[in-house]
Amino acid sequence: MEFEPVIGVEIHVELKTKSKMFSSAPTSFGMPTNTMTVPYDLAFPGTMPIVNKEAVAYGIKVTKALNMTLDKTLYFDRKNYFYPDLPKGYQITQQFRPIGKDGYVIIIKDGQEKKIRVEQIHLEEDTAKQIHLSDISLIDFNRVGTPLIEIVSMPDMTSGEEAMKYVEAIKEIVTYLDVSDGKMENGSMRCDINISLKEKGSSVLGTKVECKNLNTLMNIKAAVDYEINRQKEILERGDKVEQETRRYDEGKKMTVLMRKKTDAVDYKYFREPNIIPIDLDDGFIYDAIHSMNKLPNEYRVELKEKGLDNYEIEELLKNRSFVLYFEDCLLLKVTSAKVLWNLLMVEVMGYLNKTEKNLEDLKFPKEYLVSLANLLADNKINSKQGKELLAKLLEENANPLELVKKLGLEQISDPKFVEEIVDRVLQNNAQSISDYKNGKDRALGYLVGQVMKESKGKCNPSLAKEMIQNKIGPCGKR
Amino acid sequence: MTQLMNKSIGELHDLLVKKKVTAKDLVLACIEECKKDTCNSFEATAFEEAIKASEKIKEVKDEEYLKGIPFLAKDNYSTKGIETTASSNILNGYIPLFDATVIEKLKRAGMILVGKTTMDELAMGGTGTSGHKGVTTNPYDHTRIVGGSSCGSASSVASGIVPFSLGSDTGDSVRKPASYAGIVGFKPTWGRISRFGLFPFAPSLDTVAYFTRNVKDASYILTCLAGKDKKDMSSSSRKKEKYQNYVLSHKTLKRIGCFKSVLDSIEEKAIKDAYLNVLNGLANKGYEIIYYDFPQYLLDSLYPTYMIISCAEATSNNANLDGIRFGPKADNDPQTYIEYMKQCRTKGFSSIIKRRFVIGSFSLLSANQDEMFTRAQKARRMIVEEMERFFDNIDYLLVPASYSKPKKVEDINYSWSKKTDFLENIMTIGNFGGYPSLTVPLTFIDGLPCGVNITGRTFEDGYVLSLGQEIEGITGLKNLVANKGE
Repeated sequence: MEFEPVIGVEIHVELKTKSKMFSSAPTSFGMPTNTMTVPYDLAFPGTMPIVNKEAVAYGIKVTKALNMTLDKTLYFDRKNYFYPDLPKGYQITQQFRPIGKDGYVIIIKDGQEKKIRVEQIHLEEDTAKQIHLSDISLIDFNRVGTPLIEIVSMPDMTSGEEAMKYVEAIKEIVTYLDVSDGKMENGSMRCDINISLKEKGSSVLGTKVECKNLNTLMNIKAAVDYEINRQKEILERGDKVEQETRRYDEGKKMTVLMRKKTDAVDYKYFREPNIIPIDLDDGFIYDAIHSMNKLPNEYRVELKEKGLDNYEIEELLKNRSFVLYFEDCLLLKVTSAKVLWNLLMVEVMGYLNKTEKNLEDLKFPKEYLVSLANLLADNKINSKQGKELLAKLLEENANPLELVKKLGLEQISDPKFVEEIVDRVLQNNAQSISDYKNGKDRALGYLVGQVMKESKGKCNPSLAKEMIQNKIGPCGKR
Repeated sequence: MTQLMNKSIGELHDLLVKKKVTAKDLVLACIEECKKDTCNSFEATAFEEAIKASEKIKEVKDEEYLKGIPFLAKDNYSTKGIETTASSNILNGYIPLFDATVIEKLKRAGMILVGKTTMDELAMGGTGTSGHKGVTTNPYDHTRIVGGSSCGSASSVASGIVPFSLGSDTGDSVRKPASYAGIVGFKPTWGRISRFGLFPFAPSLDTVAYFTRNVKDASYILTCLAGKDKKDMSSSSRKKEKYQNYVLSHKTLKRIGCFKSVLDSIEEKAIKDAYLNVLNGLANKGYEIIYYDFPQYLLDSLYPTYMIISCAEATSNNANLDGIRFGPKADNDPQTYIEYMKQCRTKGFSSIIKRRFVIGSFSLLSANQDEMFTRAQKARRMIVEEMERFFDNIDYLLVPASYSKPKKVEDINYSWSKKTDFLENIMTIGNFGGYPSLTVPLTFIDGLPCGVNITGRTFEDGYVLSLGQEIEGITGLKNLVANKGE
């Protein structure tokens, strides 16, 4: 019997708003425990929720970015359950009327676009953090109330790779919108994945297993693929898959049982009575949408038009700050985007990695980098000179254009000037010419070198090479 | 000096302005009366702080109506530095870090908080007998209840301890005890006053409400308390008014409605006579009296609708009381968080509260929600829609606020009654629709007070108060104090 995997993903994204979802306490990561709270966060009696406008604006942006229908009236509901990390005894969420519905994202698989539908996104608040020691459990309330967006996909994925690509796409979108750090490793983006197998062609779904603790993209792929195989083996044995929650064990490279799902918890949802439904102002929605950052797919189209290839585009998109930097540079009349890409993504990035610096640490104006790229692209300097200038630029913030003049580095591409030197070199090196004609192709390099030496490195070497070849004809055969 | 606290806010204000007394004189007189309390009205007192606050008041200007006047607050208002328990053991020892917005506003107006009053545990109850400090009695007859849940606030105003105290009203928790205590009880429009700092019972029904001894005083208090609060999103941004102007200029609307079935169902003759007398009096003053057929099935649904909605909200609102962050800790070495919470909540709540939580939880379970909670909300909407039709042509609903003498304490039992009397729950209409609703004294039966209740359209608080003053004129009952004067 053949089986088809059915995979759905729920992602919780922590928003990087200045304050919490329903209180004025600051949101911040890594602060001393229990210092980032106000009475509401600890559920002192009589405190009331105040909806964070910034979080709502972020919700609108994500709704738009995921091609969803925006609910113009905000409703909040209570999800009731007792847990030590939940001070109020309920979480305020959007159970009945999510802010966004019926959207999709596009992933690329084997060069083909695939649409993954997104069922809904809703705004809610995070819980506190529990720390379990051997004899005691501690609670840090700093995280409680941090705004979250939960993104619920439709079960449209069929492999670990697709699940990974979907999560990657969401991660890209929320980080490009700058609504979240999107860091899976520190929990600012958390995924739960539901996996089940059904008979091929059947519409009857199998029993689903929920997978947690997936804190890298590679773990998602590995966990889903492991789980698909595990369930397949169970079904092929003729056994039944049990409804349960499993976590991925990175060391063992397998999913392990966390808990069996007995009867699901009854959360007794009902409308939050302290928040009267909020009609979103058209101006507010307009502002949120029109202040959206450019999304990765928009960059993909634009950068392609500028002449970058897919590899270059994807490398650039991995880090939004590099994209922004690159985009700014492109506004400054760039001769060749490829040359600029090479400077930024190979040379500059290499330097930053080596010196453990960030792009923000660069103190020179972007014009300097663009000038350097254009000097190279216009063949005004050679690559060796380019490297020298770059070193001066990175270490001393020196203006390449000024340096070129100061050091007399400017490459000369004037054919008359070059031809004069070429002719002189050819006259003085009859031996090399005859070597070349006899099949020693290295002799050409020697001749170009002589031209460069004669011109103190200023001649455009490719122009010199071209001229020499024209003058002495093709390389002979040995 | 001994009779000073029998006076109304207005009378005390005159004495302060004319410098015949100082704010400190009033606070000291009030403290004396607190100490003589015979009704079990107090949860906590703040005498020292009150004296200190009074010493800062050197002068009271004519326009500073509330300045220098002592008051009390129900123990479900968050008061910074003063233990606040909502008369429940689960909050013993809880000292809030902040003042409720209404406490802040009253203090800013120069009023002086002298203490906190008893209530039914967590405001759930209508008898004033279920708080952790025991029964609060009626100052007119200590063998009888004063009603609840705002029992201590009602008894303290009625017995001449303060001219004003804060209560809260979710079903009729101010308007019913006001009736039993012979005083004014006002529940303004839902959203008119910030609820920040009021311990929630059922937020969709909860309203800051209060007691005074005359309607004019109540109108000045509303002017102080009304307004948008950025700490309470449900507070209305509608422009606030000078509500006393309605009262001072006798500004009222003219069409008064009464429910036929209410009139037909009143059994106590003295109440019926007094009620008809007021209707007559109003008719003589040119008001139009309209008899309205409010569907009986909706009246019969008031009680179950109220119980389901209030218990459901209550079970969620009080889920924060788990002993982890505040309140008494578990003491039997619990091994899991579930054991910990269970221990705290088991010892912290009385059985009556637990029953309400169970009902609330039960009605919210997904298997029951349609049949219970959602149905109750639909019923609520139908009741409110019928009231909106009523208000299309009629300006006020006038009903008796209680239909018998307050019960004897010994007759109170907590068993669940199978048959409920819609009359006893008629004032929940005010909470369902968020309407302003005012109880003023109507009559006495065998020396025990009984009130009459006026309900108006939302945000017509001024008109409601002004009609209340009109009725004060007809009955001649205002500024009443139990067992004193006369």
